[in-house]
Amino acid sequence: MPAAIGLIEVEGVAGIILAADAAVKAADVDLLGWDSIGGFTTVLFSGSISDVGAALSSGTEAARQVVEHVVSAPVTQPSEPCLSFVSNAVQKDALVRGGALGLVETHGYAAHVYVDDEMAKAAAVDVVEVLTVHNRVVCSLVQGDVGAVREAIARAQTRLQDYPHLMITAVLPQPRPEVLQAFVRSSQGAGSV
Amino acid sequence: MSSAIGVLETRGMASLVSAADAMLKVSDVEVVGRHGIGSGWVTAIIEGSVADVQTAIAVGEVEAQRYGELISSETIARPDERAQAAMPHGISPMDQPGDQRALGIVETQGLAPLIAGADAMVKAAAVDLCGWAFIGGALCHAVVRGDVAAVQTAVDAGRRAAAAVGTVYATLVLPQPIAGIVPLLPASSGDPARSGGALGIVETIGYTTVVAVSDAMVKAADIEVERLSIGSGGRIAALAVGSLDAVQAAVATGRDEATSLGGLDGAALLPRPDEMTMRCFAGALNGPRVSTARRALGLIETRSTVGLVRAVDQMLKAADVEYEGSYKVGYFLTASAIRGDVGAVRVAVEAGAQEAEKHGELVSAHVIPQLYGDVEQRLLHR
Repeated sequence: MPAAIGLIEVEGVAGIILAADAAVKAADVDLLGWDSIGGFTTVLFSGSISDVGAALSSGTEAARQVVEHVVSAPVTQPSEPCLSFVSNAVQKDALVRGGALGLVETHGYAAHVYVDDEMAKAAAVDVVEVLTVHNRVVCSLVQGDVGAVREAIARAQTRLQDYPHLMITAVLPQPRPEVLQAFVRSSQGAGSV
Repeated sequence: MSSAIGVLETRGMASLVSAADAMLKVSDVEVVGRHGIGSGWVTAIIEGSVADVQTAIAVGEVEAQRYGELISSETIARPDERAQAAMPHGISPMDQPGDQRALGIVETQGLAPLIAGADAMVKAAAVDLCGWAFIGGALCHAVVRGDVAAVQTAVDAGRRAAAAVGTVYATLVLPQPIAGIVPLLPASSGDPARSGGALGIVETIGYTTVVAVSDAMVKAADIEVERLSIGSGGRIAALAVGSLDAVQAAVATGRDEATSLGGLDGAALLPRPDEMTMRCFAGALNGPRVSTARRALGLIETRSTVGLVRAVDQMLKAADVEYEGSYKVGYFLTASAIRGDVGAVRVAVEAGAQEAEKHGELVSAHVIPQLYGDVEQRLLHR
């Protein structure tokens, strides 16, 4: 068992992707994966007590830049069942592509299909994952080189100005591979409805 | 290859089905996908030539607003293949010719009014109950088919019966539905029919409450808890069968218990449910029947994974209890269960509740000293 685990919970999913990336960059922690309870998502990582503490504060700060509701806490000397809450574990063997990662989170699927299409046409990016985590949140992940991702996200912002449902956009110029291994997979979420 | 796609998103299934039916009838398009993202928001994706899709979307927008709420719609004239490939909304092609008969939908908030409405529908006219589904945001719908007059009569009766129990969100009758809308509808259930008797439904918000309610009901009267069934928006219902007297007593007890725990959403009593209603809603078992040692059960439910993980850790450290499992009800609700001696479970749940309150929102904490076997077998968290 690890000495400690850290948990960061936010509303929606874009916030924890940013938090996860910031956390693993801030200290020597292992990203375990994430979990969703239909609206709130939580990222879990493990390490020494002080590493987890440092990762928690960096991760929380990163998440606060895009979402208001952020709850975080460490569990020191966690008991075994605490690790069973990781329902979407990091796929350590999964091949990930390099390059920047762009995030667009909206309320509503129709707006989303439209904006994904616009992004793919705006620059050389691929939509690598669409995460739906209930409570009408849809988040799409695009990858490409930094310039292309920036351009695509800028286009998404422009196109969604008229929609009331755009929540978050973000660009991670150099995401850590384990972040991609945790979030870029097909068809996951709190359950299809 | 088709040159355009259209996306139309509504709140509510009646609205989406009526819009899809109108779209497929007005121009040469087909439904190639559906996707639900919770909160009752559902989307249909259509494909065809640019002009066809534009025409269809224009008609669909108007139609959608008649039976619910239009969220948004979009025509994409030349969809990018790379963007489309990543989308989760595909549907498998129909392997059987669609039902040609008239179609009726009753859409309610929560499961209790839906079951009452569905039962009234199959009793009012010669219609088949074809299935039910929930789409988040408390919305559930049941689908019936039959000839036009029968469906019309059934839906009227269903709306009245459901309104007597809870809230009806929308009703829809399509006299001649086009076959292409079938992929949007819930699959029919093929579960074997249950024996007769009265059916009682107590619907609660949260998992802890439904377990406590089920336990109170089986202890109050000679009934069986047939299944625990998810409604929508954090709702979960206990379905009880037995003689009318027993079910009446059980539902009354269940109501009181749920009210005292602060999680009652609705309740209904069907004195003599139709066989089709039972098959649709109460037929299947939740899973393999398991026998467990009769030890006390402790439940903690929160609106936060952080709070729950902290609580579970604290419970296991506070007393000699075992972790049994967790269950996500949806709509921000998540619960964990522990087992042990009554004293240990009490101490542990108290410690866990305090911990959960510090991190995120505690919804409920409950100890059941001795769970009835009937409920034991229906628990969902293992």
